[in-house]
Amino acid sequence: MAVIECKNLTYVYGEGTPFCRKAVDNVNLSIEKGEFIGVIGHTGSGKSTLIQTLNGLLRPTSGQVLLDGKDIWAEPKKIRQVRFRVGMVFQYPEHQLFEETVLKDISFGPSNMGLSPQEVEDRARRAAAFVGLSEDFLTKSPFELSGGEKRRVAIAGVIAMDPDVLVLDEPTAGLDPRGRDVLLTQITSYHKTRGNTVLLVSHSMEDIARTADRILVMNDSHAAMFAPTREVFARGAELERMGLRVPQITKILSMLRERGWPVGTALTMEEAVRELLPLLEKGGVRA
Amino acid sequence: MSEFISAQDVSFAYDPEEGQAPRNVLEGVSMRIRRGEFVALLGHNGCGKSTMAKLFNAMLLPTGGKVFVDGMDTVDEAVLYEIRRRVGLVLQNPDNQLVASVVEEDVAFGPENLGVPPEEIRRRVDEALKAVEMYDFRLNAPYKLSGGQKQRVAIAGIIAMQPDCIVLDEPTAMLDPRGRSEVLRTIHRLNREQGITIVLITHYMDEAVQADRVIVMDDGNVLTEGTPREVFSQVELLKKHQLDVPQATELTYRLRGMGFPMPCTLNEEECVEALAAYLPPVQAG
Repeated sequence: MAVIECKNLTYVYGEGTPFCRKAVDNVNLSIEKGEFIGVIGHTGSGKSTLIQTLNGLLRPTSGQVLLDGKDIWAEPKKIRQVRFRVGMVFQYPEHQLFEETVLKDISFGPSNMGLSPQEVEDRARRAAAFVGLSEDFLTKSPFELSGGEKRRVAIAGVIAMDPDVLVLDEPTAGLDPRGRDVLLTQITSYHKTRGNTVLLVSHSMEDIARTADRILVMNDSHAAMFAPTREVFARGAELERMGLRVPQITKILSMLRERGWPVGTALTMEEAVRELLPLLEKGGVRA
Repeated sequence: MSEFISAQDVSFAYDPEEGQAPRNVLEGVSMRIRRGEFVALLGHNGCGKSTMAKLFNAMLLPTGGKVFVDGMDTVDEAVLYEIRRRVGLVLQNPDNQLVASVVEEDVAFGPENLGVPPEEIRRRVDEALKAVEMYDFRLNAPYKLSGGQKQRVAIAGIIAMQPDCIVLDEPTAMLDPRGRSEVLRTIHRLNREQGITIVLITHYMDEAVQADRVIVMDDGNVLTEGTPREVFSQVELLKKHQLDVPQATELTYRLRGMGFPMPCTLNEEECVEALAAYLPPVQAG
């Protein structure tokens, strides 16, 4: 069942002014419950605008966003409920921390949902555990933490609202390889445990290859591709024309394929080794 | 190549919070940057590489040891401005380093503060913007530029001060793939054509493999250094410290472990050539 659908979705900035610009142009797509969607596109392709229409931060100029089949703008006064159900983690979310303690900061979202104080705290603690923040972090000031830890606090604050759809805008930007790895593992395990829908916006094709079931490619305000990860990354040349890339490992196998060797599309190191081993063994030069 | 920056047994501790003991983020680090070199500095967040970058242009002063820039001691206040003119610093977030509302005014900010005569400023600004391929945008507002364009304007602002060296602290972390390659192309060209020394701090291994030399820091010390091939052939050491290697390098490394005598490869092209040598001939038809 589709959890989010966009129908003829168009968003125009500054309509009626000389600066009018169409950022999202007639996008149609349907995201199933429980899917992990990667969203890629170069800066200015419309991907950030698109995701901001999904929880009603931006109201479409024309067209619709449906959540569980219902237009989110059918009753504009209830848009707050939509924002609880579609949780948004912005770029550099650690800049938005403000509370005295980590626990209070994570509790801020759910405490606005009309829950009992106990339920709020339970949720905050569970969310902290999901992002790997141990008990002793909860009483610390968020400002004492490292960049990667702060970011996990900010993500926990959204997870604590228990959204059906979690949208993350470049959650690993600026983290080191170890920090990226930890965060991505936590996001995928949260997705598996909770069974909710995740949209991950990223410039890192390696991150997308590791996590996404399907990829949405935004280009020039349009949804240029929306297909399973393997199919999208098999179209490397088209992606490069859009200012995007494929993971290096995918590129290596596609270069071999172009030179005539029968290898498939690989998204990960393990897949590449699996594709290459039978051929290398035929070559017969194993030491 | 002569020595341009030299860090000798450098220690550094940030001012501790009240009641806490100072903690060294650098513990007796020595490294040398030669004139005209392109050096990549790698390591985890918190390993001390950004602190190192700030020591290179006297934004920070060592609490132990010495840093010399072109023979000048960075603790000598008399040469402070000279050091900062010679070593420019570009940071991660382009929005934090552009100050003016017009691109060319932003680039002029540095030379104006150095007291360069107006006609000379005009010439330098035009040249700097041409060098980063942003001349056509000289009258634009910086906030309307893409991230890659903003970083190139920030680099132009430094070039206008005619530096010998540019230190870039994760300049591409916030950029999309296109913005990243624009910035990389620009700094490689400045290094090649104008002989500007480049120190690039990055988490992207594909950027590091293009450097002349790679220095890996871990926990306040230099873990290893050498040419990209020397450094990335030590896959085990890097993995042990949870550092990344390019996927091409990892693939040939794994296959080597399975008994295929592959060389260490650093990029797609090398990896494909290495594999091609061991794959059976392509069947015709």
